[in-house]
Amino acid sequence: MSHEASASIRVQLPPLLRNLMGGERWLTGDGDSIMAVLADLGRKHPSLALHFFDEQGALRHNIAFVHDGAVVRAREATTHAVEPGDELILTTALAGG
Amino acid sequence: MGVALIVGTAKGAAVLTSGDRDRWSEEFVLQGWPVTASVRDDLGRTYVAVSSPNFGVALFTSDDLRTWKQLESAPRYRPEDRGNPEHHRLVAKMDFEGKLKGGGRFVDQIWTLHAAHGALYAGVSEAGLFVSRDRGASWQPVDGFNEQPGRESWAPGFGGLGLHTILTDAKDPGRMWVGVSAAGFFRTDDGGKTWMRKDDGVHAFGGNCVHHVAHDPDNAPVLYRQEHFGVYKSDDGGDTWRVMEDGLPVTDMSDGHRCAFGFPMIHDRRSGATFAVPLDGDNFRFPRGGQLAVYRSTDGTNWHPLTNGLPSNCFAGVLRGSMAGDQMAPGGLYFGTTAGAIYASANLGESWKEIASNLPRIMSVDAYVT
Repeated sequence: MSHEASASIRVQLPPLLRNLMGGERWLTGDGDSIMAVLADLGRKHPSLALHFFDEQGALRHNIAFVHDGAVVRAREATTHAVEPGDELILTTALAGG
Repeated sequence: MGVALIVGTAKGAAVLTSGDRDRWSEEFVLQGWPVTASVRDDLGRTYVAVSSPNFGVALFTSDDLRTWKQLESAPRYRPEDRGNPEHHRLVAKMDFEGKLKGGGRFVDQIWTLHAAHGALYAGVSEAGLFVSRDRGASWQPVDGFNEQPGRESWAPGFGGLGLHTILTDAKDPGRMWVGVSAAGFFRTDDGGKTWMRKDDGVHAFGGNCVHHVAHDPDNAPVLYRQEHFGVYKSDDGGDTWRVMEDGLPVTDMSDGHRCAFGFPMIHDRRSGATFAVPLDGDNFRFPRGGQLAVYRSTDGTNWHPLTNGLPSNCFAGVLRGSMAGDQMAPGGLYFGTTAGAIYASANLGESWKEIASNLPRIMSVDAYVT
C-alpha cells in the first residue's frame, strides 16, 4: 500500500467497503474538509460514491468519522476542516443489530 | 441440468448449487451486505441487489456465481424529486436526534429485480420503478409510474412504500404490472407511460396492501394475488378479482375481516399450479400452530396443504420475495424463512427437505437453471 506525499488525506475504509477496493484499507484523497475529501474519493472511485452520498448529494446520515481522536458525524463533515497529512477513519454510527 | 439458488439474507447471499436437486453445495458471498433481490438476464449474467441502511443500495453482478463486481450505477431518484414524509419517518432517514430528513425522495431498498424484453427493471422503496437498457450501466426512472397523479396520497404501512412485484407480459412488451405495499396494484398497457390501478374487488383498509402477485408470463392476464387481506385471482389482467381461498386457513385480521394471510405467491408454469405460504394473520405472522405448510392450487379455486418434510414447530415467517420455482419438469420449489432455513422440493411440493440452515434472516430466494 503506497503512502502518498502528506499533501493528501488518508482515509481508512470500513471492512465492508474495503472489498470494493480490492482489499485496500487506506485510500488517499484531497480536500480541505471531510466532505471535500470524500467527494474527491467518490470521483476517483465511482463505486464508492454510491455508498458515500445520497440523492441529495449529502453524506449518508449513518456515516461518521474519527479525526484526531474525535468523532465527527456526517452532518458536521461539510464544515469540518482537515489538513494535509491528516488521517480519517470512516465508520458508521453505532447502532444495535 | 442443475439449479442455482441465490438466497438474499440480512448479512450476505447464500449461493446454493445442485446438479440433481438433491445434494447441494453452499457458498456465502457478499458477506456483510443485506441482499434483497436477484435476477438473471437473458445472457446469463446474475444481478444481486444490496440495500444497506448505512451505505445505501448497489448492484453486484456475476457471470459465474463465484466472482462478484459492483456496478457503478444504481437506481437513484433525482435531487429534485419530492418524498413522502411518512415513509421517511417509518423506514428511512431518521438521524440520531430523531429529526426527519424531509424533502427529498430516496431509494432505501431495492425490493425486486426483473428481466424482460431486453431490459432490466428494479422495484424500489420509496415506491419507484426504474429501468436499465444497458445491463445496469445506467438506470432511468419510469416517470409514468413514479410521478403519477395521486402518489402524494399513498399512506405507507409499517414497512413503508415498497414496489416489490414486477410482472411482464411475454407476448406484449407494452404491458406490465407492479405491486406497491400499502398503495396497490397497477397495470400499464402503453409501456409505462400511463398506469391504471387494478384493485377493484379486493378488500382494503385505507389503501390496498398487495403482498405479492404471480402469473405465467405466457398467459399473463391470469393473476394470483396475495393481499394483506386475503388471496384473490384475476382472469382479465387485474380488471376484476375474485376471492380464491377454498382450503386455505382463514383467520381474524386486525380489522375484523377473516381471510387468508401470507406473503409469497408463486406459479409453476408447466403444471399451472400456484403456491402460497399462509401465516396466522397479521397479529402473529407465523404458521398456525407452528406447522409450516405450503399450500398448492392446481385448479385456480381450491387449495391443499403440503407438509411432508416441513417442521411442526416452526414460528418463523416467510417473506414475500423468499420463495421461487425453477420451472423445470417436474417443478422444483424453494423457500426460506426468517429463521434462516431453506426448504426445497423437487416434486411440486409433494415432499420437502431442509437444504440449508443457520443463515441470517432470509429476504429473497431466486432459482436459476444451470
